[in-house]
Amino acid sequence: MAESALYRPARRATAARFKRLAWITVLLAVSALFIFPFYWLLISAFKTRAQIFTMPPQFIPMPVVLENFANVLAQTGLARAFLNSCIIAAGHVTLALFLCSLGGYAFAKFREAPGRDGLFAFVLGTMMIPGAVTMIPVFMVLVHLHLVNTYWAMIIPGAANAFGIFWMRQYIDANVPDDLIAAARIDGCGEFGIYRHVVVPIARPALAALGILVLISTWNNLMWAFVVMRKEEMYTMPLLIYLLQGEMRTPYGMVMAGGVLATLPLVVAFLCFQRSFIQGITAGALKA
Amino acid sequence: MNAPKQHTLAVRIRRNRPFYLFISPFFILFGVFGLYPLLFSLYLSFVKWDGLTDATFVRFENFATLFLDESFYIALWNTLVIGALYIPPMFLLAFLFANILNARRLPFRAFFRVSVFLPCVTPMVVIAIVFSLLYSSEAGLFNFVLTGLTSLLPWEPIRPIPWLESEAWSKISVSILLVWRWTGYNTVLMLAGLQGIPEEYYEAATIDGASRFQQMGRITLPLMRPTFVFCSIMSLIGTVYMFDEVFVLTKGGPGMSSTNFGLYLFNRSFTDFRFGYASCAAYTVAVAVFVLSLAILRLRRPATD
Repeated sequence: MAESALYRPARRATAARFKRLAWITVLLAVSALFIFPFYWLLISAFKTRAQIFTMPPQFIPMPVVLENFANVLAQTGLARAFLNSCIIAAGHVTLALFLCSLGGYAFAKFREAPGRDGLFAFVLGTMMIPGAVTMIPVFMVLVHLHLVNTYWAMIIPGAANAFGIFWMRQYIDANVPDDLIAAARIDGCGEFGIYRHVVVPIARPALAALGILVLISTWNNLMWAFVVMRKEEMYTMPLLIYLLQGEMRTPYGMVMAGGVLATLPLVVAFLCFQRSFIQGITAGALKA
Repeated sequence: MNAPKQHTLAVRIRRNRPFYLFISPFFILFGVFGLYPLLFSLYLSFVKWDGLTDATFVRFENFATLFLDESFYIALWNTLVIGALYIPPMFLLAFLFANILNARRLPFRAFFRVSVFLPCVTPMVVIAIVFSLLYSSEAGLFNFVLTGLTSLLPWEPIRPIPWLESEAWSKISVSILLVWRWTGYNTVLMLAGLQGIPEEYYEAATIDGASRFQQMGRITLPLMRPTFVFCSIMSLIGTVYMFDEVFVLTKGGPGMSSTNFGLYLFNRSFTDFRFGYASCAAYTVAVAVFVLSLAILRLRRPATD
């Protein structure tokens, strides 16, 4: 009797350890499933076309081929597309962050402005307009402004987004003390100076989260690039990679190498700023 | 304190000049790229226009054509089927993952979160091409693994599945890609929902002797309702307007078997250049989606007894 009483906790501990091990195994297996396509992308970039389609599949490229990267850079406009994507991403993110934080600050702190609440409700209402409805007219506007085949065609539309204003307003409202703004005003700081030197530094975490959210959507945007970028020197990374797929014979090695280069910046950024990434995504749920 | 009412409206507006200045960029841009397109698109619904020649007013002809257009119904049906195929497993997985991430202090937890979430940050076009390789019927990894595994079984090994070549399989192939792509996003949303539930509720329930199962049914699920509603609306909108996934993986084919509404609309707009007709379709479906979203939103609050 006494023996089994002593024995039981030990057995429970073994069971707990076993259960824990089982959970870890499941976790790692699921992780592997989710990472696998990235692994396949990476190793396919180091294979020839024949190696990619060989049976049984090569889980480790034998031999490791480096030509794909050199070829895709030399034979296609990938370098230019990478530059285009960077310019568009930088421009769009900067503009969006500036406009959203400026608007968010105004809605958060100018409480006495007549019509503030009505205008804010209006801003929120614009979130319900689906892009699919406005797509054709926006394209026509860009045509008439001669902005098709320019960076502006991908930088300006969507820069002043209602969600961004909402998100910045919430953060500034909760985190920027009124006293600080009042003090700056008494010290003779101009209204834009208050925004620039008081609000923006405090709102930096919210700006990071929003910036990342905007960056993902603009860097990965295939459809709009397809519509507004008609010249080869204006192609973005997703568009160029999409168009590399030939009608008859797709140079898969090059496509995969380009794909690695298109994916890498965001993956690296994600691994560095994980917290902001997830905060930015979760932010969408707050409005619900 | 001087009451604001003492001042006239003009004075109050002038005092808050920076407010109007700071919000004006949004309203200017919204006017050009939001409001004007919204109205112009409504006008386009009643005309025939290819974007180059003059538009001709056709009254309700676009609507009549739309309601008789078989491919429009096929696209809607495909949207529905794809949604039914991927949303339930995705929600189940996301809810399970969110609970794991919320409850268990395990090694590799951060690694698990990163790997599940990684598909959300990568360009869809690249991943869709990778999947098209994996789905390849003769030299694809999926068929290699499936035939390999089933050959270990005593009965006949399965024949290679024509993932992308058959009308029967294309929707399933798209759905698998969608589950992979969007589970992480929903996991993060559901995790945020779970973390919003006060710990005390569970403590109190444990003291009262409620089992884990009862706690799930009486606390977690009811309080997660707003999150589920939000995820449902996002998935509804996402499935209807989805584009990249089908455009790259299947081009909507074979035939029209994997064309959802988003791709249908894109083809009418920028392949056929039927701007009037496409606007009409976009408006009609947008109104339907809006009404459906409102209906789902009504589920947000528990019915009052």
